[in-house]
Amino acid sequence: MASFATACRLSARLTARQLRQDASARGFRTSAKVLAAQNFTMPALSPTMTEGNIGKWAVKEGDSFSAGDVLLEIETDKASMDVEAQDDGIMAKITQPDGTKGIKVGTRIGVLAEPGDDLSSLEIPAEESAAPEPKKEASKPKSEASSESSSSAPPTPSSSASSEAPAKPAGKPKKQTYPLLPSVGHLMKEHGIEESAIDKMIPSGPNGRLLKGDVLAYLGSVSSSYPSELSTKIEKLTHLDLSNIKLAVPAPKPAKAVEPAPEPIVPQETEVAVPISMRAVLDVQKRIQSTLGVFMPMSTFIARATDVANDNLPRSKTQALSADELFDQVLGLDKVTTASGVRGTFLPQITALPSAAPSVPVKPAKQLDIIDILAGGSRPSTLARKPVPGLSNSVNVFSVKVPKGDEKRAQVFLDRVKAVLEAEPGRLVL
Amino acid sequence: MLRSLLVPRAAARSAFKQSPSSLPAVVAPSSIARWSKRGYATEAEEKDLVIIGGGVAGYVAAIKAGQEGMKVTCIEKRGTLGGTCLNVGCIPSKALLNNSHLYHQILHDTKARGIDVGDVKLNLAQMMKSKDTAVSGLTKGVEFLFKKNGVEYIKGTASFAGEHEIKVNLTEGGETTVVGKNIIIATGSEATPFPGLEIDEKRIITSTGAIALDKVPESMVVIGGGIIGLEMGSVWSRLGSKVTVVEFLPQIGGPGMDAEVSKAAQKILKKQGIDFKLNTKVLGGDTSGEKIKLEVEAAKGGKKETLDADVVLVAIGRRPYTAGLGLENIGLETDEKGRLVIDQEFRTKLPHIRVVGDCTFGPMLAHKAEEEAVAVVEWIKKGYGHVNYGAIPSVMYTHPEVAWVGQNEQEVKASGVEYKIGTFPFSANSRAKTNLDTEGFVKMIADAKTDRILGIHIIGPNAGEMIAEGTLALEYGAATEDIGRTSHAHPTLAEAFKEAAMATYGKAIHF
Ligand SMILES: Cc1cc2nc3c(=O)[nH]c(=O)nc-3n(C[C@H](O)[C@H](O)[C@H](O)COP(=O)(O)OP(=O)(O)OC[C@H]3O[C@@H](n4cnc5c(N)ncnc54)[C@H](O)[C@@H]3O)c2cc1C
Repeated sequence: MASFATACRLSARLTARQLRQDASARGFRTSAKVLAAQNFTMPALSPTMTEGNIGKWAVKEGDSFSAGDVLLEIETDKASMDVEAQDDGIMAKITQPDGTKGIKVGTRIGVLAEPGDDLSSLEIPAEESAAPEPKKEASKPKSEASSESSSSAPPTPSSSASSEAPAKPAGKPKKQTYPLLPSVGHLMKEHGIEESAIDKMIPSGPNGRLLKGDVLAYLGSVSSSYPSELSTKIEKLTHLDLSNIKLAVPAPKPAKAVEPAPEPIVPQETEVAVPISMRAVLDVQKRIQSTLGVFMPMSTFIARATDVANDNLPRSKTQALSADELFDQVLGLDKVTTASGVRGTFLPQITALPSAAPSVPVKPAKQLDIIDILAGGSRPSTLARKPVPGLSNSVNVFSVKVPKGDEKRAQVFLDRVKAVLEAEPGRLVL
Repeated sequence: MLRSLLVPRAAARSAFKQSPSSLPAVVAPSSIARWSKRGYATEAEEKDLVIIGGGVAGYVAAIKAGQEGMKVTCIEKRGTLGGTCLNVGCIPSKALLNNSHLYHQILHDTKARGIDVGDVKLNLAQMMKSKDTAVSGLTKGVEFLFKKNGVEYIKGTASFAGEHEIKVNLTEGGETTVVGKNIIIATGSEATPFPGLEIDEKRIITSTGAIALDKVPESMVVIGGGIIGLEMGSVWSRLGSKVTVVEFLPQIGGPGMDAEVSKAAQKILKKQGIDFKLNTKVLGGDTSGEKIKLEVEAAKGGKKETLDADVVLVAIGRRPYTAGLGLENIGLETDEKGRLVIDQEFRTKLPHIRVVGDCTFGPMLAHKAEEEAVAVVEWIKKGYGHVNYGAIPSVMYTHPEVAWVGQNEQEVKASGVEYKIGTFPFSANSRAKTNLDTEGFVKMIADAKTDRILGIHIIGPNAGEMIAEGTLALEYGAATEDIGRTSHAHPTLAEAFKEAAMATYGKAIHF
């Protein structure tokens, strides 16, 4: 994979963090002084890596390094990669020199100390075996291990590992920090295994979880390597199989017909109209002028009436629900809360109607098409009665155009406008 | 366009104030239309993430990215979010499956339960409407979540103009360009057409037509006995069609289904009235007559036969959909099956362009797309992400349901691992008995030496819900004993699950 190297760098830090956790959880340090020294083992740079070669150490024994410094180069059959330090520290000891070949993952290649440690008095920790068989010296009494805090963790190298690098070098005992699986607990009781023995068992489950099979392996009823072999098989299934991809032959395609963007659907509109008499408004207007000496333009009345009538209208059939209302609907809460009205945004179109009022509501405004015009006389009635724009002092037609389905809402609005303008227009301005 | 409604209230008010002497007038609609179009993304701004496709993969990634504080844009051409799954897939099909099951049960399965029902009639239009309500509620819910998480949503068709530059043909007309530091392709899949049969979604239909028929066809032939074919076949069979399923392979349910479970499913569905022709190949069809004539032949060669049908459902699988994306403009590759080529981190060979969901590798499932969507954003944002492809459940929502997770018996056998099997029939489960719904069984496959669970297969009532426990067990590396030693409420169907586990490592109590 071309991007393998990038992948490595990306996940380097993560892996290091996990290594550190493993290290501290394993508790292989014995005294306060030695707490600072830590084995540095061959990291797994890919899920399939079992062993690697030391290319070249970039630090010498006794060298101090800081987080991010390259410690050494490791070669596998696939690639060679730099391993970086995660924290500051000192390279206390190098146990596998440049060019050493075929080092199993998990085998010690060096010892790290914390910054400021006196190397001369540093106790070198025992080497842990990479072999799956648990070793006595690898595990410490449980109480001590658990009293360690991970914050005192020593510097750890950060390996440039592939994304799928297992969280831990396979085949190491690991302290179980979660409740034991029921099957594990049962087997231990059944066989009289002491709880401390858990720390000697090699977990093969996801994220180092101890499985029933691992206890069986500890007991010797299945081979000690079997659980981890099975885990490897199962682990394979957790990834997409991207091997043997057969690329499509890029056929010289004939120019593809570009899919036309679907026509935006313009909802059909209907006009709703109501004749409204301005007589009452004129009366009020006159009275105000005579008593207060103020001229109140008719448009003020209309504007106020519009404002009042828009309040608390029934919901539009076509209006998209607000985000919150939608979410309520998704959760079924719309049925729970009482539906309340919504403010409208109607602006009436006003035309003076000198003569008879048109039937209400008016039929949907039909698109005037060329045939109609040519045929002539097909629309005489509407044309003849078409009111002229402007405001008459007597009857005016107030109309609004609404999408189909909203006629009722418009009617409610116009009826309200009519009611306030014809009945008590004075209240609109006083 | 809802012109009058688009006018903001404030604007309407100010119209009065500014011209008190003139009359209120309708704002010129054309200017509003133009304004609303211009409201889209600016051309130059670079987004942290641009997602092509608002299906499950795309919308989940968009929301996750929004939550991670990224500047994210999602482009979808369908007009609604949710993709195949919400619009024409999982959701509408399950709405119809549920309601057709209710109808079928009321028709045929009430007397013995002590419920006398009068005249039962199907109102197909209403059934479709209730499906549509479910769909529109959910798709709009996703739109809400976009708003909530600050995701910019562009309605239009996207294509690559450059490695970071995406041209969008806006649905409302016009064009815009978005630039993304990172890009996710989540364009999903489409039904694979059957060569020689032209889809009109009326008589020759895909699943999309099958969730929207306006009358119950007298007879229906389903080409392909996979999950989608069996689900849609079940719907129309329950509503009264004579359904025949033609399958090339020797088993139904697709290759992932355990053979034993598949056989059981076939038996039960057959009892429900669906006919099966396995090992059978469709040669071609003639749609000129009143009935469609399908010519079929035994897969291994043999005698030909003609099947008559009012409607033919083509359900031979789905294929990645990348048409019109302009992959060739930036040199992105697909494999033979049209899947976009990626690495384990979902990256194409242009590492800032990643791919998730149906248009790339892995099972074409909505929850797989969802897992990947979260993981891919984590990869972009944090440099790591995780999807466990070994523990992705599959469910067939027929009645009874079929559900499984992990390997089936054929696969375990082929892998050479020694295994043991435990089963428990629902006929021995108290809850299934009380429900008079006792068909099916739970089957567990575990490693013979360590008892670690390798696969779980359920056919039975509520299998789809029950498989969640199996998935969790698999994810945690559990042994069947771990399930068997965990309390399950009584009386529940889940007790059958526990007893199957007990039967695997020891003995079931009630069987
Ligand atoms: C009938 C049926 C039933 C199903 N039932 C289930 C089920 O029960 N459970 C389950 O897990 N899965 C089910 N599936 C599968 C599930 O629907 C898919 O796995 C899921 O939808 C994949 O999501 P996705 O986001 O990858 O793709 P999709 O959902 O296909 O979404 C891709 C989106 O991208 C858009 N798009 C494509 N190209 C462009 C472009 N150039 N510009 C802009 N937008 C574009 C498309 O319009 C589409 O909306 C079912 C599928 C079908 C057909």
